[in-house]
Amino acid sequence: MKKWMACLLAMAMLLSLVACGGGKKSDKPDSAGVEKLVSEYGFQWTDPKAPILNEKGAKELSFSVYSSKNASALDYNDMKIMQDLFASTNVYVTWENVSESVYSQQKNLIFGNADNRPDAIYHAGMSSGEIIKYAKRHVLLPISDYLEYMPNFSKILNDRPDIKAQLINVEDGKIYSLPRVEEMGLLQNPNILFLNKNWTAQAIQAGALKGVTEAELKDGLALTSDQMTDLLRYFHDNDMNNNGNAGDERPLSFVYNNWQGNQCDLYGMFGLNDNLEHRIVIDDQINYTVQDERFKEATNFIAKWVADGLIDKVSFEQSQDNFLANGKGLENYGAFYWWESETVVSNPENYITCAPLIGPKGDQTVCVSNNPEVGTGEVVIFADCPNFEVLLAYFDRYYDPLISAQINYGPIGIVYEENLDSKGMLVQKELPAGITSDELRLQNAPLGIIYLNDYAWNNVVNMEPRAKLRLERLTEFVTPYVAKNVKPCPNLQFTLDELNTLANYETNFNDYVRTNLIRWLMGGGVSDAEWDAFQKELSGKVNIEGLKKVYQDAYDRFIGK
Amino acid sequence: MVLAAKKDSGTSRTDLPQGPVFQNKKLKAFKENAPFLIMIFPAVLVVFLFNYLPIYGVLIAFQDFMPGDKILSDTTIWVGFDNFKRFFSDPQFWPLMKNTFLICIYGFIIGFPLPILVSLMLNSLKGKKTAKFLQTIFTAPHFISLVVLVGMLTLFFGRYGLVNNLVASGGGERYSYFLETGAFRPLYILSSNWQDFGWSAVIYIAALSNVDPQQHEAAILDGATRFQRVIHVDLPAIMPMISVMLIMSIGGLMGVGYEKALLMQTDGNLAVSELVSTYVYKRGLTGVPDQAYATAIGLFNSIINVVLLIIANTTSKKFSENSLW
Amino acid sequence: MKKRKNALRDTLGDKIFYIINGFFLLLLALIILYPLYFIIIASISDPDAVLGGEVVLYPVRVTLEGFQKIMERSDVWRGYLNTIIYTALTVVLALAVTVPAGWALSRKTLPGKKLFMIYFIIPMFFGGGLIPFYNVMSSLGLINTMWAVILPAILSVWNLFMTKTFFESSIPNGLIEAAKIDGAGQFRIFTSVVIPLSKAVIAVMALYYAVGQWNSYFNAMIFLQDESKYPLQLVLKEILIASESTVGGSGETILQQFRMANLLKYVSVIVSSLPVLCLYPFVQKYFAQGVMIGSLKE
Repeated sequence: MKKWMACLLAMAMLLSLVACGGGKKSDKPDSAGVEKLVSEYGFQWTDPKAPILNEKGAKELSFSVYSSKNASALDYNDMKIMQDLFASTNVYVTWENVSESVYSQQKNLIFGNADNRPDAIYHAGMSSGEIIKYAKRHVLLPISDYLEYMPNFSKILNDRPDIKAQLINVEDGKIYSLPRVEEMGLLQNPNILFLNKNWTAQAIQAGALKGVTEAELKDGLALTSDQMTDLLRYFHDNDMNNNGNAGDERPLSFVYNNWQGNQCDLYGMFGLNDNLEHRIVIDDQINYTVQDERFKEATNFIAKWVADGLIDKVSFEQSQDNFLANGKGLENYGAFYWWESETVVSNPENYITCAPLIGPKGDQTVCVSNNPEVGTGEVVIFADCPNFEVLLAYFDRYYDPLISAQINYGPIGIVYEENLDSKGMLVQKELPAGITSDELRLQNAPLGIIYLNDYAWNNVVNMEPRAKLRLERLTEFVTPYVAKNVKPCPNLQFTLDELNTLANYETNFNDYVRTNLIRWLMGGGVSDAEWDAFQKELSGKVNIEGLKKVYQDAYDRFIGK
Repeated sequence: MVLAAKKDSGTSRTDLPQGPVFQNKKLKAFKENAPFLIMIFPAVLVVFLFNYLPIYGVLIAFQDFMPGDKILSDTTIWVGFDNFKRFFSDPQFWPLMKNTFLICIYGFIIGFPLPILVSLMLNSLKGKKTAKFLQTIFTAPHFISLVVLVGMLTLFFGRYGLVNNLVASGGGERYSYFLETGAFRPLYILSSNWQDFGWSAVIYIAALSNVDPQQHEAAILDGATRFQRVIHVDLPAIMPMISVMLIMSIGGLMGVGYEKALLMQTDGNLAVSELVSTYVYKRGLTGVPDQAYATAIGLFNSIINVVLLIIANTTSKKFSENSLW
Repeated sequence: MKKRKNALRDTLGDKIFYIINGFFLLLLALIILYPLYFIIIASISDPDAVLGGEVVLYPVRVTLEGFQKIMERSDVWRGYLNTIIYTALTVVLALAVTVPAGWALSRKTLPGKKLFMIYFIIPMFFGGGLIPFYNVMSSLGLINTMWAVILPAILSVWNLFMTKTFFESSIPNGLIEAAKIDGAGQFRIFTSVVIPLSKAVIAVMALYYAVGQWNSYFNAMIFLQDESKYPLQLVLKEILIASESTVGGSGETILQQFRMANLLKYVSVIVSSLPVLCLYPFVQKYFAQGVMIGSLKE
């Protein structure tokens, strides 16, 4: 054994010397320095509408940016928006496109091949842990040191300290990545309850559902948990879809632990704003819902529905594909949670949008998910990028609302008319024949770093009709039920120590909670003894308090406490 | 280098009075066998280039490593056995080892003999055309991608899948194969075997085809039945191949990838479906992506496998003439 | 003639043995065949019907959309061509490397045999991981060339050891000795005695290497940058992922994509495996070599 190891190590040492010596030296040109850039290439960054470089700069300087792209998208070099950007800035960028799946495999290799890195990565998908570690090794450019070249981005950081706080690296207080910000207000509440109107009407006629009249069967209907139990039981016992089989109706459906349409809203009946991580901010304090007594009550209540067949067990094992496929054809969904009813069932007009269910003690609230609307780590620039000042000024243009809209939805001339309307908003062009609006968008929009917020939605670009519909439903039937002091947990920045704690405990924590929770939900509930043992384990070996402290510290830094 | 080693072994000259003659003989033998060195050279070269040149990467296991770091330089951050210690002190260490070990050992117990059995059965089928047809059919599942395989499993064994529908129509209770801990290993192992037994049988079938027909004829003359001939002629003929495959399989016992287990994983079966490989994969997704940690676990795994291999080989050598080296 | 002789000698016991044997094989065949059949009918059925469990014995709402979508793409055909080239080159080179090395390793007289064995065993267990591998390939100048896909695949130690074992157990020593006495050198023996007797193992190795390369995509994904060099499996994988991607689409688009993705899964299995399956019977021909050994021995 020893001989083997020794042999191996010796061999490895020898070979690494060989391999290390073989590396090529970088053939990158040296930075010209800002003064030379200004004098020779006409570099300017103060006027955000004028070209960044002069003609000479357009010819002689170039940047290579590595980027994954959506499979339906054109090569970025051929995209009109990219060509338009070149025309308006004179900054020449060569895009190296790979597919998203290839990128996820190549990412480490790009970083690993230190002598042959591109200048920047677009759609970089860097986690804060990666950024912190690469930053420490001076691999990435500290963008915050050069904000003078980025007027649009600087303004965002000034106007929005919350966005700034999500970007700042705790270890040295600098920013190393450019974010994607698309604030539509859709992601926080990923579930809406939809109810089969006709089936419910039948239940009312049969006297199975008390306290609701047929006239009340419209959007916004709020049922109590008792009413819902009766209703679901009626769906379960009867042949609602008249196919001669009383067993194929699925009273209440969802996709367990899916990012949308999951079970978390059910915990709202007991006053909990649960989510998939079971982590939520209340009064600026990090809370784990699984430590709450009400979580036990809610779990037992839901487990009873499962045991009685009111929630089909298939909800816990199906993928969203199965869930969606089952909604087609023969109607068999009584009620379901999803992002929108139109995707799930063939006849969405038969389903009404419900307000959250009212629990046994009168609680009525919903899931608050931690899906962030700010994507950090979307673009990183390598520290050895020559003339990075120019590249920064170039990427800054992406944050101009009019450019952002085109980056996100497609360029003027293809997706939008050349002329803005009287309010200065972009006007959708007529669709060419044989292509859907989504296909057109995906082909021509690179997505990526953008800043679209309320201002943009009101002054530059209209939201897509679907997003609008969903937003209306959310503002009317969902968000009013979330207490003001409840907030999702945002992107947080951690120290290296904190990251190590997370790395060592979080996967184990997730596994522990998930294994137990499903066992209780499927097995009829949790006994008090089991619950106590669970709590003991949580605060013991699973180290929930340690995790909570990490998040609390990071959150305190985030709100500037 | 090999040449030098051989020369050194001739130090026992003083014990042998006819020294020079012996030397000559050795030299002659070497000359005669030198062509073997030429035959083996391309393989040695390929392994050197693609396996040995990058092997220095195992050192990552002892470092705090991020891609782009030099693996041997003064900037390298050495952390000793920290990455290993982190793994051993992980609360999930023992459950993970147990899950991994069990799925591998059960998989091996079923998966190792099955191809041998099938190749013997196919070989003793009377209709040779049928045998060939069956062989082709049996190899076909090997080409099914994991995604499709698991997709079919969920369709067949899902709550409203084929199997449950059959059970339900017979008056039985529907069973959640994907949520019960008891169903994960059988589903995982049987589907793997379903996919690969025919493929693994090919090498045995080839070995069986080289059995001397005279041996069969002699056995027939001795009045052996077909079954006896399987046991006394066919099986011994492929025994060396079986031994070597056995040793190599034991040496690779703990190596189980994460893809399939992850595809089949649900919260319900997590208690048994969380393997070392899936756990490492998940850890890489949350918190800091950790190459070094994964490499350390890989190395730990390799060491277990090497120990198993040595045990298997030594045992095999002791009880039969067959061994890998 | 031999067959009739055997038939005459079948005892009752033999008959029972044949029946039981046949019965089990038939059972096995059914277990194998149904899912294969299912893939075929699923590939031409409405994906919603497949996921909804309606497709059991025959296709439901037949659609050739999946095949159309795959076949109309030029990159699929280019992928086929690339895969065929890579596979053919891999097999030729792999056999040239593996078979002689296997023969050499199977000889007790190979100088330093044990060292060689250890040399080959170590990489079965210890690897440096992806990053050093990539950097080595980069130093060798193989990035974005087809050799990056082919060369690392031309030797599998597992296959090498199988070949070695086959030689050890299936080549009668007497034959080699006889050739030696006739004055044949080692190369002569290898080419004119060993190879003709080893068609079975050579065929198996060709098959294993060919299928290994045919099914692989990982090295291509990592080392190839030009999509025009992608092998079939990578092209299919990309198509599948593309159809599952949901970035920016509205509900209806996403739904359409899901349906297409589910259909393509089955279609891609058929498209990628059928050509190889058709080749298998040709490989099988070489398995019936037993007679020849007998005749050579006499």
